[in-house]
Amino acid sequence: MLKRHFREWSVAFALVLLLAILAVAAPAFYQGQPLLSLMAREAPTLVVACGMALVIIGRQIDISVGSQFAICSVCAGLLAAMKWPLALALPAAIAVGAVMGTVNGALVAGLRLPSIVVTLATMVTWREGLRWLRQGEFVNLPDNAQWFGFGQAAGQWTLIFAAVVLFILMVMGMRHLSAGRFVHAVGSDAEAARLAGIRPQFVTFATFVLIGALTGLAAGMNVVQSPQVDPKSGTGLELKTIAAVVVGGVAISGGRGSLWGVFAGLLLLACVSPALTHLHVQAYWEKAIQGAIILLAVVADGLRSKTIKHN
Amino acid sequence: MPPLLQLANVTKSFGAVRALKGVSFDLQGGEIHALLGENGAGKSTLIKVVTGAHQPDGGTITVAGQLVPHLSPASAHKLGIACIYQQPALFPDLTVAENIGLRLEPATATRTVNWPGRRDRAAKLLKRIGADIDPDTEVRNLSMPEQQLVEIACALGAEARIVIMDEPTASLTQKEQHLLFAVVRGLRDNGVGVIYISHRLEEIFALADRVTVLRDGESVGTSKTDDMTETSLIRLMVGREVSQIYPPAAGAPGEVALSLKNVSCGASGIKNVTLEVRAGEVVGLAGLVGAGRTELARVLFGLTPADAGEIALQGRAVVIASPAEAIAKGMAYVPEDRRRHGIILEMPIAANVTMAIQRRIFPGAWLRPKAERQLTLEYIRDLAVKTYGPEAPGGSLSGGNQQKVSLARWLATKPKVLILDEPTQGVDVGAKSEIHKLIRRLAREGMAVLMISSDLPEILGMSDRIAVMRGGTITAMLPGKSDAHEVMSAALGQAEKGVAAC
Amino acid sequence: MADSTGKFWKSILLRHETILLIVLVLEWLYFNSVGPRFGSLGNTFDIVRHSVEIGLLALVMTPVILTGGIDLSVGSLLGLCAILFGKFWRDAGMPLPVAGVCTLGIGALAGGLNAALITRLRLPPLIVTLGTYSLFRGLAEAITSGVDTFTNFPASFLFLGQDRWLGIPAQAPIFIIVAVAVWLLVHGTTFGRSFRAIGFAPEGARYAGIPVNRRIALAYVLAGAVAALAAIIYTARLGQAKADAGTGYELFAITAVVLGGTSIFGGIGSVHGTLLGVAAIAVLNNGLVHARQPREVAGMLTGGLLLLALSSSAVPRLFSRLRSRKPAKATQTVSPTPAS
Repeated sequence: MLKRHFREWSVAFALVLLLAILAVAAPAFYQGQPLLSLMAREAPTLVVACGMALVIIGRQIDISVGSQFAICSVCAGLLAAMKWPLALALPAAIAVGAVMGTVNGALVAGLRLPSIVVTLATMVTWREGLRWLRQGEFVNLPDNAQWFGFGQAAGQWTLIFAAVVLFILMVMGMRHLSAGRFVHAVGSDAEAARLAGIRPQFVTFATFVLIGALTGLAAGMNVVQSPQVDPKSGTGLELKTIAAVVVGGVAISGGRGSLWGVFAGLLLLACVSPALTHLHVQAYWEKAIQGAIILLAVVADGLRSKTIKHN
Repeated sequence: MPPLLQLANVTKSFGAVRALKGVSFDLQGGEIHALLGENGAGKSTLIKVVTGAHQPDGGTITVAGQLVPHLSPASAHKLGIACIYQQPALFPDLTVAENIGLRLEPATATRTVNWPGRRDRAAKLLKRIGADIDPDTEVRNLSMPEQQLVEIACALGAEARIVIMDEPTASLTQKEQHLLFAVVRGLRDNGVGVIYISHRLEEIFALADRVTVLRDGESVGTSKTDDMTETSLIRLMVGREVSQIYPPAAGAPGEVALSLKNVSCGASGIKNVTLEVRAGEVVGLAGLVGAGRTELARVLFGLTPADAGEIALQGRAVVIASPAEAIAKGMAYVPEDRRRHGIILEMPIAANVTMAIQRRIFPGAWLRPKAERQLTLEYIRDLAVKTYGPEAPGGSLSGGNQQKVSLARWLATKPKVLILDEPTQGVDVGAKSEIHKLIRRLAREGMAVLMISSDLPEILGMSDRIAVMRGGTITAMLPGKSDAHEVMSAALGQAEKGVAAC
Repeated sequence: MADSTGKFWKSILLRHETILLIVLVLEWLYFNSVGPRFGSLGNTFDIVRHSVEIGLLALVMTPVILTGGIDLSVGSLLGLCAILFGKFWRDAGMPLPVAGVCTLGIGALAGGLNAALITRLRLPPLIVTLGTYSLFRGLAEAITSGVDTFTNFPASFLFLGQDRWLGIPAQAPIFIIVAVAVWLLVHGTTFGRSFRAIGFAPEGARYAGIPVNRRIALAYVLAGAVAALAAIIYTARLGQAKADAGTGYELFAITAVVLGGTSIFGGIGSVHGTLLGVAAIAVLNNGLVHARQPREVAGMLTGGLLLLALSSSAVPRLFSRLRSRKPAKATQTVSPTPAS
């Protein structure tokens, strides 16, 4: 068991180590409110990272999630500003995300274009389209929209709870629903999947629609955290989630990986920045350290596969 | 009762190559029917037609009396046809239990997965075939024979009516083999029809009820195994008249150009190969698929460098760690899989021809299109490549002409030792005899040629001496004028019958 | 004979580069008709000035993509090199030329890091350069503490980015030299041919004796060194070096390369195609401003153009793959399985 999930365990170990160091060297990290805010901020990222994990396990990639996130955020914000209840604005954002995912999915699975370039193109198109339509204008939300109309703490708990429930549902789905196993099968060997009666192109299509919908949901979860919607929100989200997925042990060549690893990877990367502040290291090292963590993770993989081959 | 499976006049071509020229075949329930033939006789194509992986160009397929107009992998599965390929088609990243599950459970996306059930079934199936494999291991961690056992478990679990086994014992140990035989007999006793492909005659006699021999895409006879002897089977397999006229052999060979002493390579299963090839000599390297011939060539060419033994060129000991070094030392290797390794399909003929001599023909790395064109035209003329010009992409050529371009690339290096791997596979008859003449001419000009071939008449007609490989090492050296029977017997390991190869 | 010349012209006309050139000319004519100042020499020089850095990155991205790889780290490396250049000059007291040479060295070294990870450990280029993308940008931020900027460069240096030399923008000659050099490398030498061979069939290239790892390394080292050059020009143009220099440039560069007809799978592509791709994007961006259209439309159109270019080059390739797949399978089963 340890051997099969070696990567997940080592990331989890690194995370625990970081948390332990913080507990000793900077107990202030564990103060309630900042920690709660950190978790609430990362809750939407976790939702998108789950979708990204699926896409990558299925041997594709989606770098347009940041732009999708921005569009869904603005859509949700505008609807809320038009006095739509959140119960309707949120599903609308999810639907908008799913539509954008459908476009990606149709191009990748239907026309069999390489996903990296397709999503690069849609990323540019969505982002610029939004800027054109909105001219960088912020959307002001009505008062009752922030934190779902609850207090801040209650709202934050709600978000964290929602993200965790979704995460567990996804884990269960990937493990216990045959659709989830199909994603692994297609990423592992599309031809063998075809022989086993699975339709690989359809599975690919579905993962893109799903990541779109999840991005829409994440956007909704992000919108309620502030009184305004930034049309630039989601910038860099694609790289952040891909990094979490890669650090979490999902193989970029598809087939392998688990959502638990992604969870640990995301937390590890998310904790770097507050940890730096609490350990009195300049926060500007954050990105460099994140990059180093990504490289370390893949180098470890490379070395491991090399030694295994030699044995 | 109608036969379980009946093929009538099935034909299939790939481009210019006619892989099946009207094969008829039938399989009864409760029968083990062996399919026998040399490499390239059409067995694999036939199997793929039955499993729905290839659509036949003509002929009919009948399953249990029902005409099947269109057979796809999915419908074959539904009809109860299961196949165990030589190279297992499993998902490397998933566990054994899951692989079996995906194969056996319906492919509906909304079902929940019953993990304990999957594991139980996997454990039971594996136990039935006596395989000691943990259902929770990932397939990528299994050895090739273990993966094959998983495939067999899948077929068993599918309760297939027709089970096809493509050389299932090629990599099994003797103990695993005995278990497998018991499983296969068990299937037969339950009314399943088994198509069993193997090169090992002793297995066929031990197991099969009937045997059909394929040769050059045609069935040359089906008979009860009891009516046959090993000799008569081998005669059927190789019995073709040597229809082509092979060019005459050269005179006396010269100095030793390439000599191997106890060369081994752990990674590719080459063990203690000792061999000499003289200048002006064609040495044929015969053996079955998996005997290690291509692996030996890869070792010599530095693709998987040797880890023990001595290689000497022109009497001087050398170490060859990369293809570039091999080329610099006067070696050339025309690989077997020309579409993947031999030429680059998307690049022009000219670029393909000069690819291994870039340093020499392009001093200072500057391309010289004129010189390149000139040289390529020379080879196009010399080897009679049919094309509209040196700028034509390699992929636009027919198989034979692709092979000529691949040859031209290596002749351009002016090698002293030329290794040919299946030089005429998938090549039409005309180009074949041209290539044969060329090989002879090269030898006459003083090149040492090591020719791997699965085409027995070619080996017999072209070689001055014949080395036979089996299990990663050379088991026999025969003179060039040996007869087919002798070579086949050595390749099949008949002389040492009863000794299991692992 | 008539038939073959007809074919010849057809193949020239249907080339990706030709179509792109026509698009470019149409763009030019259209914007010239709507924006009166668009066609002026001054505006043309403006376009050149603003596209040199991305153009440089796109030029060296071409060999990388030809080998079937990708380099996401060039934009971040541009930022890091800009910072280090400023650091060498202001804090280490190096004269500007020395600082420039050191910066180029750092760029090459950074490219070497990418190359080492990709060839030695056989890691996918996408992931390796994603890691260095974060790492290089992060180092730039860490070195400057996120706020430090380098300004007050001497006028003799700013000349490089802001002034004219012999009547043309001073950075143009540098760009032309690099463009010619990369063109010669890709189209005139055995190196370029090796890049293509590796992109089409890495195993096939190895069987032909091409030193695959060394060639791949060359492409990434070159990308690193030229990213450093772009950093210096960027600094000269803006008169300051900041840690966020070149953010997102990698995506512009990749877009230009793919728009220029280079296949993301490797093998197919040309440097002149890339130049046309850069020009098409630059003219579009500038022209829409003159046509009083919002700048964002340019971005959207670029994305759309990219998708169009992609479908047009990927679909024939897909067909040829499907065609070549079937017979290949037939021979595959004959390939031996090594016995254990």
